[in-house]
Amino acid sequence: MALDSRSLKRSLLGTPRARFRGLILLFWAGLSVVVIRLYVVEVIKHKHYLALAQENIVKATPIPPLRGEITDRNGVVLVHNGPEFALFEIPGEVRSSQEIRWVATDLGIPVSRLLRSTRSLGFVLPSHVPIPLLAGLSMAQVGRVNMDLYRLPGFFIQIMPKRIYPDNNLAAHLLGYVGSFTPGDLKRSLYRHLPPGTGVGKSGIEKEYDGWLQGSPGLRRQLVNSHGAMIKSLREKPPGEGRSLRLTIDVRLQSVAERMLGDRRGAVVALDPRNGEVLAMASHPAYSPGELSQAMSTVRWSALVHAQDHPLTNRATQGLYPPGSVFKIVTTMSGLQEGKLDPDKTFQCGGTFRVGSVIFHDWKKGGHGTLRLHRAIEQSCDIFFYTLGMKLGPDAIARVARDFGLGQKTGIDLPAELSGVVPDRAWKKKYLHAPWYPGETPPMAIGQGYLTVTPLEMARLMGAVAMNGQISSPHLRLGKQKTSLSSVGLPVKDFAIVKADLRDVVAAPHGTGHPVNLPFFAIAGKTGTAQVVSNRGPNKDKKRPRADSWFVGFGPFDSPRIVVAVLIENGGDGGDVAGPVAREVFRMYYVIHSTELPSPVAPPTPLLTGGRPL
Amino acid sequence: MKNEVVAYILKVHPLFLVALGGVLGIDLLTLYSVAPYLAMKQGIWEIVGLFVSAGILMVPYTLLVRNARIIYGIVLTLLFVVVLFGHQSHGARRWIGVGWFQVQPSEFMILALIFFLTATLLRNGKDVHLTPGLFAGSAIATLLPAFLIARQPDLGTAVELTIIFSVYILLKGIPSRVVGISLIGGLAFFPVAWEVLWTHLHEFQKDRIRAFIDPASDPSGMGYHTIQSIVAVGSGGWFGQGLSGATQVRYQFLPGAQTDFVFAVFTEEWGFAGALLFLSLMAYLVWFATRTALECRDPVGFYLASGVSGFFLFGFLINALMVLGVLPVVGVPMPLMSYGGSAMIVSLGSLALLLNIRFYAKR
Repeated sequence: MALDSRSLKRSLLGTPRARFRGLILLFWAGLSVVVIRLYVVEVIKHKHYLALAQENIVKATPIPPLRGEITDRNGVVLVHNGPEFALFEIPGEVRSSQEIRWVATDLGIPVSRLLRSTRSLGFVLPSHVPIPLLAGLSMAQVGRVNMDLYRLPGFFIQIMPKRIYPDNNLAAHLLGYVGSFTPGDLKRSLYRHLPPGTGVGKSGIEKEYDGWLQGSPGLRRQLVNSHGAMIKSLREKPPGEGRSLRLTIDVRLQSVAERMLGDRRGAVVALDPRNGEVLAMASHPAYSPGELSQAMSTVRWSALVHAQDHPLTNRATQGLYPPGSVFKIVTTMSGLQEGKLDPDKTFQCGGTFRVGSVIFHDWKKGGHGTLRLHRAIEQSCDIFFYTLGMKLGPDAIARVARDFGLGQKTGIDLPAELSGVVPDRAWKKKYLHAPWYPGETPPMAIGQGYLTVTPLEMARLMGAVAMNGQISSPHLRLGKQKTSLSSVGLPVKDFAIVKADLRDVVAAPHGTGHPVNLPFFAIAGKTGTAQVVSNRGPNKDKKRPRADSWFVGFGPFDSPRIVVAVLIENGGDGGDVAGPVAREVFRMYYVIHSTELPSPVAPPTPLLTGGRPL
Repeated sequence: MKNEVVAYILKVHPLFLVALGGVLGIDLLTLYSVAPYLAMKQGIWEIVGLFVSAGILMVPYTLLVRNARIIYGIVLTLLFVVVLFGHQSHGARRWIGVGWFQVQPSEFMILALIFFLTATLLRNGKDVHLTPGLFAGSAIATLLPAFLIARQPDLGTAVELTIIFSVYILLKGIPSRVVGISLIGGLAFFPVAWEVLWTHLHEFQKDRIRAFIDPASDPSGMGYHTIQSIVAVGSGGWFGQGLSGATQVRYQFLPGAQTDFVFAVFTEEWGFAGALLFLSLMAYLVWFATRTALECRDPVGFYLASGVSGFFLFGFLINALMVLGVLPVVGVPMPLMSYGGSAMIVSLGSLALLLNIRFYAKR
């Protein structure tokens, strides 16, 4: 009996296949529910839902935020906003491809330019999102398009904020420029909620602090009918204005630096060694950020990108140059630290130096005769440092160079900073797969060979010398970092020796840096005239390009407050070419700060406040 | 062997290929209307899925079932990897991968579990009694990944795993005594379980349950998805609003238009007529799956095909009923339609498994 009931139960529940058939039955039942429900909603109640969908559409359009202003350290405005007209397209509402041709005709531009914008952004954005076709419309263009809008429901003109640069090209590389965002930018969450057409930082400070400057878009909500016409305006969320940004730059130093560079290729960096604040950063040739922030023709853009003198490169942070004789500071510090350099020992400079079969010459024919460290630096004697370099070897020199931050990014708050190269035996093995040859050490000791630096790195190095080994972190945003300095780990007494020598480079009548000398402001520094191996720039056809000119110095000597690094590509003699640029920056610094500075030796000469080119 | 498989598919199942191609085409068309790049990416995933399917066709299903525990183990490990190092997106931690190539192991758990349960509930290819031990074992094998996935949070996939488990238990049959005891026990335990579950649900999951109970209570809040979805479907009419006329999608009233509510988008654009066509194609695919199970003499093939049928049929039904506001928004994607690479691979792979069973079971 028990057995029977068990088998009965099993047969009632059936076999797996029978139960599976039950499941299939359940599916057909479920599908019937889907179809019936679909019929009810979509056919029977269609009018009801269509009315809901069409008559109560709340259309939300984002309102672009105003970007924050950028000012210099004293509040002088470097970038602010103004209005401009921009043309937008809503791809989903364009009925035929003919319409965009009409628009192009109205604007008087080739249709291909408009199609480019449509293709890049229209591809990634939903078709109801307006995409910017062209910004910076002229009044004539606005007028013509406006008259045509009745047959162009998918297009509209809107007033958009635009970046204004009151001083045109001033600090162009530093400030960077703003552009419409690209499909690539959309991946970054920061841009996900911005309406297309909003400016996005593309380089420089505009890019680095984009999140800070950006602000948040507002939302305009309108009740619209099925044709998109507004019925009623609803509660509006105003856009959150971007925050303004105060830089460490002083406009007066910046303009002197740029004026003194003139139309030569080069860079100037001025920074406060006490806290790393960058007071000026110039790079020439420059571009016009105002022009770049607008819609630009491809021809013009590719001309900028491919120009032989690279106007888009910020030479202060992205230019890599051999440091030349300025590097002798590092060789000296290394010699003092290793105990292989006695500042009081005399040395005989005969004008040549021999390693194996290679003969190195001094820059001065016949040599400098008998001298000590002091005069070797003052007159930049090469033979002295060749000899010292051979005693030290590349590794010891490289170690101190790295202590001074060479070969590493300074971490300045600018995008795409580059770092130079500090070679040593390990470096050569790793990158060139070759051993270090003794003949490569003498050039390195005087800042040639594989060694490269950026002007910013050199300014920081000189700042560390000025501050007796306290190295700063350069930055551009005022009050961003704590003014913390870190030690390079070299003894203070060695700095005292080197600084005294650097003072005489400028002060002594025979010093290579004497053109920088100012009677009322004690400057110390080092010149450099670096041989250039590779050809670049317009003098490409010449066999031997002229050397790069350097001057890197600080002042006032007793309590350093400013470091200036000047580099001029293919300028020639460091003291004569780079020197005067640095001098005028120092002079302007003195003019600005004369009341706070220790009493001058002589009153400043008023005729030079303009900083005319010398 | 390779050519034999291809010849077999072309000869015996042209209608199957037409239905599959139709659904995939509808998918791309609908996603294109939401945003063109979605269609492009999904198209790439469809191709990847077809390659994976071709791979599945090369290996006899019996061999796959024999290695079911290894497959299951690998996917479970990946789920743990997601918990530890997963890539986060939109507040959920579901993805692992490099750069553009991101996969959701949770989706692959569906196939892994089907293999695992088939292997566990059969002994040497023979049907055996469902002992309490076997029941508990399969329950744990389901609930452990389901728990990990629900925590991601991805309630939809967790629900799908539990459904697959239920299908297998249904096939096995539970003695009425067990049913009775679990029913009483379950009822007694329900308040406790509900309490625990409720406190562990994410806020948006709770909102969806609340909204299901009364969608109109807050049209801009919790019931929003359901209402907008119904409005989208309802405004379709007999022949739809067309690709450019679908205002619900165009003005972004329907969130998740490309994922859970892609069926609503299609229906708004193509109307009741389009929906009927789509439902017919999908119903054909479900019918094909169930026929595969019923026609297969080999119990292993039968169980495998039943699992695939269960996954496909319930995914389809639940999603459609969710879009139509009959079921709560649990986040179960529409197989072969919802945007997502891993889901597409798993959908296509499971269909390939059916062909595999039909092909190899005969020899």
